[in-house]
Amino acid sequence: MSELFVELFSEEIPARLQINARNELKKYIKSFFIDNQIKFNENFKVYSTPNRLVLHVDKIPNEIKLNAEEIKGPNVNAPEKALEGFIRSNDTILEKIFKKNTEKGEFYFFKKESKKIKVSDLLEKNLSEILKKIAWNKSMKWANYDLYWGRPLKSILAIFNKKPLNFDFKHINSSNKTFIDKSLEESMKIFNDFNSYLKFFKQKGILIDQDLRKKLIQTKINEIINKKNLKIEQNDGLIDEIVNIVEKPAVIFCDFDKKFLNIPSEILITTMQNHQKYLPTFDKKNNLTHNFFVVSDIKDTKGFVKLGNERVIEARLSDAEFFWEKNKTQNLVKQVDKLKNINYFKGLGSYFDKIQRMRKLSSLISDDFLISKEKIEIASSICKVDLMSDLVGEFPELQGIVGGHFAKFQGFDKEVCLAVSEQYLPNGMESKLPKKMYSVALSLSDKLDSLVGFFGINLKPTSSKDPYAIRRMATSLVRLIVENEIKTKLKDLIAYTCSVYNDQGYEFDTKKIQNELSNFIIERLKNYLKEKKIRQDIIESSTLFLGLDDLLKSYKKSLCLNKNIKKEIGFETIAVYKRCSNILNSEEKISIDSLGFADPGLFKNDYEKKLYKKINDIRKYFLSAGKDENHEESLKILSSIKNQVNDFFDNVIVNDEDIIIKKNRLELLNMLCKTFDNYFNFSKIDA
Amino acid sequence: MVSKIKKKTLSFQDTIFNLQKYWSKKGCVILQPYDLEVGAGTFHPATTLRSLGPKPWKTAYVQPSRRPTDGRYGDNPNRLQHYYQFQVLIKPSPKEIKKMYLNSLSSIGVNHEEHDIRFVEDDWESPTLGAAGLGWEVWCDGMEVTQFTYFQQMAGVECKPVSVEITYGLERLCMFIQNKKSVFDLIWNDEGITYKDIFHQSEKEFSAYNFEYANTDNLFKIFDMLEEETKLLVEKQISLPAYDQCLKCSHVFNILDARGVISVAQRAEYIARIRELSKSIGKVWIESQS
Repeated sequence: MSELFVELFSEEIPARLQINARNELKKYIKSFFIDNQIKFNENFKVYSTPNRLVLHVDKIPNEIKLNAEEIKGPNVNAPEKALEGFIRSNDTILEKIFKKNTEKGEFYFFKKESKKIKVSDLLEKNLSEILKKIAWNKSMKWANYDLYWGRPLKSILAIFNKKPLNFDFKHINSSNKTFIDKSLEESMKIFNDFNSYLKFFKQKGILIDQDLRKKLIQTKINEIINKKNLKIEQNDGLIDEIVNIVEKPAVIFCDFDKKFLNIPSEILITTMQNHQKYLPTFDKKNNLTHNFFVVSDIKDTKGFVKLGNERVIEARLSDAEFFWEKNKTQNLVKQVDKLKNINYFKGLGSYFDKIQRMRKLSSLISDDFLISKEKIEIASSICKVDLMSDLVGEFPELQGIVGGHFAKFQGFDKEVCLAVSEQYLPNGMESKLPKKMYSVALSLSDKLDSLVGFFGINLKPTSSKDPYAIRRMATSLVRLIVENEIKTKLKDLIAYTCSVYNDQGYEFDTKKIQNELSNFIIERLKNYLKEKKIRQDIIESSTLFLGLDDLLKSYKKSLCLNKNIKKEIGFETIAVYKRCSNILNSEEKISIDSLGFADPGLFKNDYEKKLYKKINDIRKYFLSAGKDENHEESLKILSSIKNQVNDFFDNVIVNDEDIIIKKNRLELLNMLCKTFDNYFNFSKIDA
Repeated sequence: MVSKIKKKTLSFQDTIFNLQKYWSKKGCVILQPYDLEVGAGTFHPATTLRSLGPKPWKTAYVQPSRRPTDGRYGDNPNRLQHYYQFQVLIKPSPKEIKKMYLNSLSSIGVNHEEHDIRFVEDDWESPTLGAAGLGWEVWCDGMEVTQFTYFQQMAGVECKPVSVEITYGLERLCMFIQNKKSVFDLIWNDEGITYKDIFHQSEKEFSAYNFEYANTDNLFKIFDMLEEETKLLVEKQISLPAYDQCLKCSHVFNILDARGVISVAQRAEYIARIRELSKSIGKVWIESQS
């Protein structure tokens, strides 16, 4: 048993590209072994540092035996070219080809003899192809070469069974050597196995295994925070990035001047995390502290690294502080007028125009939400002012949040501040969802205004392009409504938004936008349900005849059915429905001129009467106010008709000789299906 | 390797001298700054145009760079509307470029064995030049001191061979070397002249010009005139004068942008206009090279 060990040495590859390349390489190596029926240790791992992409697979046999097999070729009547191709592809000669009869006629065959193949030969033949398959999210060329890689690739080390594998990957020849200093690339060293490679670098403090680097960083950080009574925020994205931008991590505990803690913490955190890749710390009460962690790629023996990083953060924070002090006192209300100078979007007016629309829209929404009209109008008016501030210029990712802080500083109502702060939330599937009604109202009016606007000027996303992230906007709108259980007449709101646009002189076709946007939002709902792991048939059924105003209801019913479909009430409800609808489907003609009800006067027995009564009971249940809210209860009621249906089918023959009686019985079944449909369109559900 | 203990702080001008000497030894043509207002060293025709086409090329030069929107009237310790870049361009990109770069840092007293030098992903794009590249910003103990880019596209044309561009932010680098918190405290020469002595007044006055006094009506007209001129010169197939007019367009646009008279939508439109000019010039230039 042998090991395969490959190292690709390059200039610094960005973290996310590394992670992707590891996964890609793993995938293709795995399928290479499987496709060639070579045994291998399936728990193998791909490692990386910024400069090294390393593959190590062990428990590989040195040889594999290919069993003898008969390979079927073209039909004997096929053109000669086909036979020639067959001979060529099997690397054989005409004399070894024979004809044989099969069920489908006479074919050419070739008998491949069993033979032994060296795995090292196979690897040498295939590795270059495997490397070519790696799909980089972003790749580049350099110098005169025509190889695409994440960053310039310098060398390839490839070993099998302690011996070098020789192959060419574009302009690079593999060998058993690699660079041991990533900076100057001056010295190379021979390695014949993975363990000595790992050991060699470990002695230099370099950890090839990303998981070990992660562990080391976390251990060091934990040691310090436990001692200092601090916490860090769980932030996997940032930690994974840090792990992949160092090879010999050294955790350095740093601090900045406490005076900067007066700046809103989001600004400090963004500066540290997004701009500098630092890890901020918090005290036990979750307040940000002036301590932070830097993960350096070098031991800070002289203290230069700590000093340098502290100086950088001070400079960045003084910038932020300067802007915060300057901007926070600039009166939000007095600045609203200046929004006239800022374009919202080409063809959709200025931000001033936008907030005028949002104000009207949110004011209408406030009636539905039973919140103060005055407050939501204030929130709408000031919500975009922060876009003109230096702070948002510096920290565009903090738009809204910064505005919320300005509002708070200037003494605005608490709910207004929160609404301003949360106006852009949620932003997609994963993002935080606002819960307070003022926030929901503001966010809803912002999104509706944008959606109607973009559809109005015909900038709808296409299947491949969505440059303005309109899909995400609509998904966020769906989440706002269904997750907060908002009952609102969305269709009316869209129409109203159109009319607000038209008041400003636009000429939007309300009906057209209403239809297109409804379909678009329903598509987003479907997608959302899919993300929530709802069965596809339930999604399709629940949205089949869905009106936009029933977004919430449809969502809740889908959830309820998805939960219960394998349980008795779900299972039985569907069984009953299917039994009835199958008969109706086979008697299509009747349903075309259906009256929509059965005539009790034509019933011949009690089973029909009992079923009829039960259907009417269920109808009454659904008609009574509020009953439609408890979906699980409704499902239970529907399933309770099982006995009457069973009795009916056990004792009544639908297909009566008397066509009138037969039709009446079909009408009865039709009534049942219609009643069920009223709750949920079960026809598309797979039993 | 033990670093030599530095006797005195390297002045701003000595930093430039050392880099020039270093890259001169590496075979670069040491050029002087281009004599037009540009936003970055990349805009010097020795980079933009010379990175196009098959001929090998190595150069290094200082380029004063103007970014009108970054002006702060000399009040901010880190922001300037006029600053210096040290630019290196080598085509095709040499194999040992990282080593060359790290050694260039040593030549100005930054030893990579004592500092945390990091190559942080930073892909570069210039919408006005129709240019894009992949590379890094180089951090030294957390401070960004250099942009390091492999050009993939210039003036809308695929770069073949690929050039590598190294752009040192001289003020940042010197603040790091001299351990200064404000750019204005930088020591310019060994006579004790500071950055403030030389540039503070100009920061103040140009900020006022860029933000308050630039005559925007005229500038809009000038932009149109320059654009027309560029197109005419492209027709005449003379790429270098055409490129000059295009650079002027770009600077006029930058001032208009700083004056806040260009809306978001207009902005995209102006950028597209300049890009079209760059592209057409690039074509003429490439033809002239064969």
